[in-house]
Amino acid sequence: MMKKSLSILFVLLMLVPFSLVAQGAKEDKPITIEFWTHEDVNRQKLEDRYIQEFQASHPNVTINVTRQGSEKLIELVQTSFAAGQGPTVFNLSINDEYPFMAAGRVAPMNYKAAGYKDAKDVIGAYAPKMLDPVTKDGNVYGLPLELTNWCIFINKKVFKDAGLDAEKDYPKTWEDMVAVSKKIVKRDGDIITRRGYDFRYKYYLENCVPMVEQLGGKLISDDGKEAIVGETAWVKFLTYMQQWGPNGENLGSPTYTAARKEFNKDNGDIAMCSTGLYQEARINADNPSFYNSKEWMVVPYPKFKDAVADVSSCYYGHYYMVNADADPATQAAAWEFIAYMLSHGEEYLKEVNIVQPTTALLNSETYKNMPYSSVFTNDLARGHIVYYGANSTSIQSALGTAIQAVMLQDIAPVDAYKELKKTVQELINEQ
Amino acid sequence: MPKQLKRFSIEKQQARWGLVFTIPCLLFFALFSFYPIINALMTSFTNRQAVARTSKFIGFDNYVYLFTKDNGGFSMLNSMRATLTFTIGTFIPMVIISLIIAVLMMQLRHPSERGFFQIAYYMPAVLSSVVAASIWMIMFDPRGLVNQLSNKLMLTSGRDFRWLTNDSMLQFSTMIVYFWKYIGYFVILFITGLASIPPMLYEAATVDGSSKWHTFWRITLPLLKPTVVLVSIMAMLQCLKTFSTQYMFTQNGAARQPIDVITMNIYFTGIRNGRLGRASAMSIILFFIMLILTYAQFAVSKTDDVEY
Repeated sequence: MMKKSLSILFVLLMLVPFSLVAQGAKEDKPITIEFWTHEDVNRQKLEDRYIQEFQASHPNVTINVTRQGSEKLIELVQTSFAAGQGPTVFNLSINDEYPFMAAGRVAPMNYKAAGYKDAKDVIGAYAPKMLDPVTKDGNVYGLPLELTNWCIFINKKVFKDAGLDAEKDYPKTWEDMVAVSKKIVKRDGDIITRRGYDFRYKYYLENCVPMVEQLGGKLISDDGKEAIVGETAWVKFLTYMQQWGPNGENLGSPTYTAARKEFNKDNGDIAMCSTGLYQEARINADNPSFYNSKEWMVVPYPKFKDAVADVSSCYYGHYYMVNADADPATQAAAWEFIAYMLSHGEEYLKEVNIVQPTTALLNSETYKNMPYSSVFTNDLARGHIVYYGANSTSIQSALGTAIQAVMLQDIAPVDAYKELKKTVQELINEQ
Repeated sequence: MPKQLKRFSIEKQQARWGLVFTIPCLLFFALFSFYPIINALMTSFTNRQAVARTSKFIGFDNYVYLFTKDNGGFSMLNSMRATLTFTIGTFIPMVIISLIIAVLMMQLRHPSERGFFQIAYYMPAVLSSVVAASIWMIMFDPRGLVNQLSNKLMLTSGRDFRWLTNDSMLQFSTMIVYFWKYIGYFVILFITGLASIPPMLYEAATVDGSSKWHTFWRITLPLLKPTVVLVSIMAMLQCLKTFSTQYMFTQNGAARQPIDVITMNIYFTGIRNGRLGRASAMSIILFFIMLILTYAQFAVSKTDDVEY
């Protein structure tokens, strides 16, 4: 009996080192993070360095980064999740990301891994309401890579060429925008060879819904039940767009090259465009002589003369999220990696001109010293987050159809409004 | 005949070898064509969404939805209209003109001349659809080459012919791109068909005093019927499946509704909006449209062998 007990004890003692080794092996278990993000030449340089640094300090972690155009990325992420092969970490605009959160495909934050105590600690580190879109049932599901709003960038040289002084004559109202554009625009017959301004087509939720709100309309009623509220406001907005397009004053069209892409070239093709603070870094990268010449400026988002609400362009956030299908160890590593990248807020701001809306950064001297940062900050206070919901992509498309209908297809604004209301109502009823 | 001899008859041996060589192709087809079709059919009866973890069986609800509702402003009925408009507007001229070009090419005396034109016409077919659409996008820009040429031809100045902004012109633009890209491919097919007609028939017709038009109408065209059927079915099916041109145009600002062909609607519904069940139902509907039209083609063409 004694011999038997000793034998059993001996065997158990033999197993102890094995279990310790197994524990150690678990801690060093190789982890692969698939990181998908959108292309940005300036941000890429920083991220590649952060990835190398993180991998150096975490030898068991390998990070594979995939970069795509922002529109392509939406489709790729969606398709990959449908196939059960979604990336570990990704970022999209919140209106495209929200369905993932609603469907439970992304994991709540591992606060400890990210260096926080709890949800309250995270939320407290950011400016008020910045984490509202990614907070659900008391848990935070994403951290913002950037928070962006759009103001109007102006090329002063084009204004001068048109006999205008950008500092005085910049458009303060949408009516001014038409008047100024009429003075700047050049045509060869019907064909526009120089535009004053052009809209950021396809991003109607961000850029156009605020115009309607200025006139007293709404995308969705406060109780979420009615779509396209305020016929007068919507018809006035659609009439404005119709007048802007080829069938009206012919000041611009979705079929011309995107205004922000032309702006950096400083080739006299465009005077104004809507874009974010990040455009400054892009101007500097694409055309340093234009950037350094200071022949550009940024002004606030215009307002209709008879606006009933002072609303600027909607801001949107790109949030890093983590795939809920990843195992706990990978999720923890992913959150730690995200937090590591985002701990370089000032560097992102200086090199890429993107704003991570932490309280610390927004109050920093670096942010305050960015050219025209005050314009963006003031407009941020006038604006609100872009609409996000399960059907935001479809609603964005429906808005596009209505605007194209009045601009390009000669449909009457009232008819376009009715069709839009019917379509979006159907979409929110589905939700 | 003894049973053993029967079992190992030559026909059966050949049939066995035929099966051996066909099986890999059948497996490939089963895996990459048949399985996805069945999968799409099964998915079309569910409410599957790209980001949702689960889906449930909803019967024919997707099909009912597609024919009764708006689908977020891009209805299936509009897509069917756009697809059929594009198909009829493209494949009929393509078949007729490629036949005419092939007949004219066969009249060229020097093989080098024929070779040059064959290459010239076929070259666009080698380009990817996306590249072809991108090239034409630049040309259709209001300040692009097409407007400039059109102004020269119409003796106007600065007129925007609205290649991408007017509904009808936009549809016409997509037809031009497709026509330009594939005309050479079908010319080559017709040349192959024309070359298989025995020359002695033309010699006999000449001896009998037949005119060129009479020879073409009574000899060439009937003998070319199998090729005409092949080309028209291929052209029609290609047109029904068109996607890249319309997609590239809409991505660059053109209105979607006039050119919202079924394949593009499937793409946006399934990939952009994540409605996989609904998109699968659309693809099954497209499959049946293609099946019905192909059957109708065969029925109309009456492909009896012409004996000579």
